[in-house]
Amino acid sequence: MALTQVSSNKCAGGFQKVFEHDSTELKCKMKFAIYLPPKAETDKCPVLYWLSGLTCTEQNFITKAGSQLAAAEHGIIIVAPDTSPRGCNIEGEDESWDFGTGAGFYVNATQDPWKTNYRMYSYVTEELPKLINANFSTDPDRMSISGHSMGGHGALICALKNPGKYKVTSCRVCVRPHLRPVRLGGGSPSAYDATVLAASYSGPQLDILIDQGRDDQFLSASQLLPDNLIAVCSEKKIPVVFRLQPGYDHSYFFIYSFINDHIKHHAKYLNA
Amino acid sequence: MAHFLKPWSILSARSSRTEHADQCFQSQNCIRSPECFVQENFGRQEQHLEQHYNDVLQTLSQRYDDRETGLQEEKKSKLESLYKQLVACGQALDTSKELIETAQEVYRCQDERLFLKVAQLGLLRDFFFLEFAKEDIDLSLSTSLEFSTPLADLSDVKTMMDSINVVPAPSAPVINPQLPNSATQTSLHVCWSLFSDDTVEYYELYYRPVLEDTPADSTCVKVKETHCTVTDLLHNAQYELWVTATNTTGISPASEKALYMTVPSPPAIKQRECSSCPEAALIRWESGNTNPVDSYIVELSETGTVGAESNITESIVAVPTCQCLIQLQAGRQYLISVRAVNIGGPSDRSDAITISTTGTFFYLLEDTAHPCLSMSEDGFTIFYGDEELCVAILGDLIPVRGRHYWEVEVDDETEFRVGVAYEDTERDGYLGANGSSWCMRHIRTPSRHKYEFLHNGWSPDLRITVHPVRIGVALDYDRGTLSFFNANLEQHLHTFHCRFHNYVHPCFSLDNPGALTVHNGIQAPDYTFI
Repeated sequence: MALTQVSSNKCAGGFQKVFEHDSTELKCKMKFAIYLPPKAETDKCPVLYWLSGLTCTEQNFITKAGSQLAAAEHGIIIVAPDTSPRGCNIEGEDESWDFGTGAGFYVNATQDPWKTNYRMYSYVTEELPKLINANFSTDPDRMSISGHSMGGHGALICALKNPGKYKVTSCRVCVRPHLRPVRLGGGSPSAYDATVLAASYSGPQLDILIDQGRDDQFLSASQLLPDNLIAVCSEKKIPVVFRLQPGYDHSYFFIYSFINDHIKHHAKYLNA
Repeated sequence: MAHFLKPWSILSARSSRTEHADQCFQSQNCIRSPECFVQENFGRQEQHLEQHYNDVLQTLSQRYDDRETGLQEEKKSKLESLYKQLVACGQALDTSKELIETAQEVYRCQDERLFLKVAQLGLLRDFFFLEFAKEDIDLSLSTSLEFSTPLADLSDVKTMMDSINVVPAPSAPVINPQLPNSATQTSLHVCWSLFSDDTVEYYELYYRPVLEDTPADSTCVKVKETHCTVTDLLHNAQYELWVTATNTTGISPASEKALYMTVPSPPAIKQRECSSCPEAALIRWESGNTNPVDSYIVELSETGTVGAESNITESIVAVPTCQCLIQLQAGRQYLISVRAVNIGGPSDRSDAITISTTGTFFYLLEDTAHPCLSMSEDGFTIFYGDEELCVAILGDLIPVRGRHYWEVEVDDETEFRVGVAYEDTERDGYLGANGSSWCMRHIRTPSRHKYEFLHNGWSPDLRITVHPVRIGVALDYDRGTLSFFNANLEQHLHTFHCRFHNYVHPCFSLDNPGALTVHNGIQAPDYTFI
């Protein structure tokens, strides 16, 4: 598959680039951002996949999160895809901010008219890694996944549904996907519900770090339900450290504040 | 007067000869050739001879002076008495002469009547008799013309002359100062020499310990040689020694007193007070001697991987106190021992201690333990059986900045606090409740586990889904971090960021009945210090 470089900026000693390609899963042109640390010039580096939240594109994370310094320090490639297929001209895709465009939920839709294009789960777990490994200096055995909000939940489900694929996972905020995936038709709610997936997980040991802003408006609105997840993980002995950060909200300011901890969390396994 | 040979000429002759001996001695650059020995011995002999003869001469000279003075005085008194006699005779003669002239004058007188008058009176006759009979002119000499010559008493001179041929009593020997490495813990090797070429039958060496108040009794040893090894002494003790030389004539005066010291007893390393980390070890020991010693020597050798002892690779000398912080290399094993040193020399080596520089190693400080806490035999597990909160104990972490790692083994039910604290942290307080301690706290509720990471009484809000039974604690002084891990899962739990302004001690406490065990001397896993 051909990659077209859209932009390249030197950053923290490495390069922050954006590429475009024709996606076979999503049947449209997709962009993704990739940060190449200085180490990538000489060695194969592990890859951290970052899944952004609702309404984001590949730009938000690379311009607001401040991840490049830590990535350079630990020698990790960070790939940040877009959050949904674009320009597919599906009816209703732009109607609401939390559904359709910019809200792919990282699931494979099973209902029409979404199921042709909205296959973010396969894109993220299958197509994108193959593309990255083929075109960049990567170590294909060292992969991990992280995300924020919708992306945080997406990271969890990718890891839980693919035991052994991701060395470690972390997220800021895991949105409990209430109704959306049902509308996308991602099968039964449990198929892409992190809490449910955790309950039935069996596979190599995970190590999950979750940060949640205490002043996150979604938390107070009960749209995020970390307690359920924690209870299940405790039950199933899935190692999770869940941190409630006082004063922090849902924004990229919150992501920025803890990105170093998360990258260090990933580096522990990716560089072991 | 007789000419007595004055000593001056002997002196001058001798001094020239001694000078020659000195020059010979020096010119040979202190290599003592037989010539020099002969010259020296000759000098000594001559000195002895000169001394003796000088004494004799001086005595004789003194006698001569005395005798001469006596004679002079006798002469003077004889002359005086003779002179007196002469004067008296002269006066008598003069008186007689006057009388005779008077009588002649009267006889020549023409006046017969006057003559008759005088004659009638018969005065003349009386006058002459009276005058002449006045004195019995003694014409014998008042003194004898001979001088008395009493026998001179020269018996002592004779004795002195005789004693020249007799061997003198020896002169005081010279006792040597203590030679290095000549003493042991219980014995001293003493040497002395003779000042002159005396004949000596035997020596007597006296010694006694130097005590603070009353002087001790001395012991005497009789030897024929000029050295002696005195045994059965106290260790690390000062002794006073002196020696006399004896021959048929008598005993010499005592030599000067010399002070010797026996070597100290070896120290004893205090195993439970030693600690180490990859770069260093802190060794503490007991002196092993009641009295102070001058210093200590710490010796270390690296043991091979097989465990065979290699030679001493390093010695640290002049250690002033009973502890030493030694820089070492990481990942090795060492044998360390200590010696005590005083003027007498070094003691035997203490029993060695094995130090491994893999990871950080420390014992728990028993005297910091809460009275309700009990400790296992090996000193690494603490037990508690009551309901009081926070019975704690500190660990003896080596005071070296850098990285340290240790693990704590706990069970599912025990409520504990583990972390670090400054040495002066409130012993009555709760770990983590103040600004001088940091800890991870486990609270057990019927339904779940709760965790706090406390400092200044504040903890972040977090959940941990898998209860850690083996907690890794990683301290990094330079970065100012204290991290906690689930060591079994290699899972990071929490990190405190703090600039430690002083050294800290690992701290452990139990909040409910239970136990925990400390494991250290473990190489820190890579993930602990990313």
